[in-house]
Amino acid sequence: MFVQINPADPRPIYVQIMDEVRRGLAVGTLRPDDPLPSVRQLAAELRLNPNTVAQAYRELERAGLVYVRRGQGTFISAGDAPLASAAKCSVEVAERALVDAYRHGVDVHELVEAIQRLSASDTFPVKAQNR
Amino acid sequence: MTPITPTAEYVLPTGLQGPFAVSTHALTKRFGAALALDAVSLQVPEGAVYVLAGANGAGKTTLLTALLDLVRPDEGRAEVLGLDTHRQGAMARAQIGYMPGSVTAAFPWLRIGQFLSLLGGYYPGWDASYVGHLTERLDLDLNARIRGLSKGQTRRFQLVCALSHRPPVLILDEPTDGLDPEMRDEALGLLSEHLADTGGTVLLATHHAYEVEGLADHVGIMRAGRLILQTPREVLQSQLLIYRADGPEGWAGPAHLDAQVIARARSGREIQWTVWGDKRTVEQAIEASGGVVRSATPLGLDQAVTALMRTKELR
Repeated sequence: MFVQINPADPRPIYVQIMDEVRRGLAVGTLRPDDPLPSVRQLAAELRLNPNTVAQAYRELERAGLVYVRRGQGTFISAGDAPLASAAKCSVEVAERALVDAYRHGVDVHELVEAIQRLSASDTFPVKAQNR
Repeated sequence: MTPITPTAEYVLPTGLQGPFAVSTHALTKRFGAALALDAVSLQVPEGAVYVLAGANGAGKTTLLTALLDLVRPDEGRAEVLGLDTHRQGAMARAQIGYMPGSVTAAFPWLRIGQFLSLLGGYYPGWDASYVGHLTERLDLDLNARIRGLSKGQTRRFQLVCALSHRPPVLILDEPTDGLDPEMRDEALGLLSEHLADTGGTVLLATHHAYEVEGLADHVGIMRAGRLILQTPREVLQSQLLIYRADGPEGWAGPAHLDAQVIARARSGREIQWTVWGDKRTVEQAIEASGGVVRSATPLGLDQAVTALMRTKELR
């Protein structure tokens, strides 16, 4: 799992870690029973406070996205929670876009229209990946 | 853009929840007529990574050295893990790993390896393989003489000494000063591992808060010998925000905000406030005056420290 943390992001770091796990689920790079790195490993790799990583893992466990096997580590859950969380991704992306639109004085209709126009255009690079 | 002098009607928080690994009680130190520490009551919770920020000469180093009993305060007292740093100084220091802010090193004629084995004699739980791991990660040659080390090598050697005995309390004075980017990154990784392995407490003074952005969970800011703020990081992140709002022609924003305004600037019909206070209260006040709040975003650690250090009027 690759986790990208941006200190300038207004989201607290533990939320960023949680969102990265959700992103992995949505994209499909994380699947049920896949292990997450240990708290020590992820903290050392990202130069983070281990308490922050542990908090992210605790919250993920509480949300039902991961489970802890004593002495073995933290793993992605097999139930519906990871799927539901992946589906929620669109809501979160929309939320971020809306906040940004509001900040720029763009209203919802203008935003939706712009998204549709852009995604229909041949020049927009993401288009090739659209289903 | 015209910054407006801040008002001093709202008090920044300076008290934290215990138990504390390190605490001082109205610590005061004068050097001649200069007041280096002015009734400082530092509170570092157990297991915290506490970043002490402040300009040069604000008193950070004096405060840290007082915890090691290298500086004797004129008034007040200090405790490390419940031990009085003066009356029980040796016992307190045994619990501390200390990295000084300057590069003067003792025993210049010794080789690094010789010095470390001497040091190991003082600690019953000395783990030679861990110390070997530290010197390797920080790229130090055990055969090098202390006298011949460059500034960067001396700093790395000092960090190894501080971490070597896995102390429950680490006191680091500008730990990344003098390190190149690669070694700084390595040093931060070692700190993460130290925390994961020991669950210990870290108190570190720095000018470069952004470097420890991922580690810090508590922040203290010193100015002119006073601790003007100490707070958990998440409180800083939820209370200190930049609000950007715009309004109709001639709009001047609310006459009064029930919060601590740290900076205010306007550009055309947009006004930007840096405010310490309750988000809803501030947003409602701005909206009641006819403005539209476009965004309310927390500051990065470095930005936050800089903004708070500039609040000259605050006491």
